[in-house]
Amino acid sequence: MSNPYEVLGVSPGATDEEIKKAYRNLAKKYHPDNYADSPLADVAEQKMKEVNEAYDEINRMRQKGKGTGSTGSSAYSSSGYNSSGYGYSKYNSVRIYIQRNMINEAETVLNGIPENERDAEWHFLRGMCFYRRGWSDQANAEFQTAVSMDPNNQEYRTAVNNMNAQRTYNYGGYNTTNVYDTGGCSAWDICSACMCANCLCSCCRSC
Amino acid sequence: MFGYLQIDKAELKVREYEAYKSVYCGLCRQLGKDYSVFARFALSYDCTFYAITLMSLKRSCTGFRDGRCRFNPLKKCKYALCEDDCYSKAAALTVISVYYKLCDDINDSGFFRALAVRMIKPFFSHCRKKAAKRYPELDTIVRDMLDSQIELEKKDKPSIDEAAHPTACMLAEIMKAEGRNESEARVLYECGYHLGRWVYLMDAADDYEKDKKHGSFNPFMTIETDDLRGYMNALLSQSLARAYDAYNLLDIRDFKGILDNMMLFGFPLKQNSVLTGPQGGKK
Repeated sequence: MSNPYEVLGVSPGATDEEIKKAYRNLAKKYHPDNYADSPLADVAEQKMKEVNEAYDEINRMRQKGKGTGSTGSSAYSSSGYNSSGYGYSKYNSVRIYIQRNMINEAETVLNGIPENERDAEWHFLRGMCFYRRGWSDQANAEFQTAVSMDPNNQEYRTAVNNMNAQRTYNYGGYNTTNVYDTGGCSAWDICSACMCANCLCSCCRSC
Repeated sequence: MFGYLQIDKAELKVREYEAYKSVYCGLCRQLGKDYSVFARFALSYDCTFYAITLMSLKRSCTGFRDGRCRFNPLKKCKYALCEDDCYSKAAALTVISVYYKLCDDINDSGFFRALAVRMIKPFFSHCRKKAAKRYPELDTIVRDMLDSQIELEKKDKPSIDEAAHPTACMLAEIMKAEGRNESEARVLYECGYHLGRWVYLMDAADDYEKDKKHGSFNPFMTIETDDLRGYMNALLSQSLARAYDAYNLLDIRDFKGILDNMMLFGFPLKQNSVLTGPQGGKK
């Protein structure tokens, strides 16, 4: 196993608090919710597992040394992404294909279903195929159709919400106006404000 | 390519900005070394991004060296040193993509422009041959992209997703080749796919007015909506969001500040300037 400190990106001399913080940040980053429906869900899950293991390992090592259990064990579990558990559906094979990233096979089955039998779930799964491919626009349209056909289905609504979250994604500062507001007022700001004021003053004087 | 993969200088630390510049200069020098002085004019931000990504993934940057700019001997500059072939590869991609872009331009543009392009094409054709000899896989990837792009534009009303697919695949394949194992290759593929998609859509959004006037192909032409800007913005943001999710799964250490800056600030900034700018914000 690789060095647990390296996995968390902290130095072996870090305090318990620092380690906890690093762990929290990574757990947030790899959280299953960020990768729901993504073709990389399994990779994120694996990363999460490594982080959990590293955190537990460090705690174990430190407890041995100190004899106290102050840091606690990893709180974030990496729950699976089984989209099963939605009861019986005639599209079970499609769901399994999608889960295994076999998108061509899933689409073949979907395309084989006659048009008059295509219900909300059909649109949802077809959207899922598009999404896995990276064809987000058509995925979005299919999810919307699924929701409009069956507005009460939680699964479809989650998918649409997920799409909306991505489409209005705000990073640390997508709106340029926000970027410069967040930092508060630093010495540099005051200094540059003074310089600006100075410039304005000298402008006036020359007029 | 297109020059959209840029940093947001204002958000970078000074030393990160210098590191970025030194890779830019290093790539420029490599173009001169591998091809010719004129090939240096083909230097682009996109290929700088590629070079930085490569050097970061392979952890092959060994330090910096002082030097002078070839074009402006009075200007001092730093070169990032690299122990493997990251620069050569990025230089090869530069000339290959420029060559195929010229091929595409001859088909697309009017008589005089096409004539001008024909004049410089033989030079890049020579460079491309040299590059393709060293990196045949890069040449194949870019050529396939152009072929499927031409094929696609003949189609009646392709969807946005279809239209963006060739460029997305190109960057996906280029990135995937650097994966050290199966899962990393998959992450790189996904990241490259959405970045490529974003670049293509950015270009389409940028050229929308121009294409409308000239009646050229543009994937947004078939979209019927009251708020086209909003629609473009949502599409572009989603591509970036998905690229960023994939990027987060990579184990980036070297140049992390620069790459983070590009993903979180540089690309969104460029997106805003293209969508809000009066004539787009190409340069």
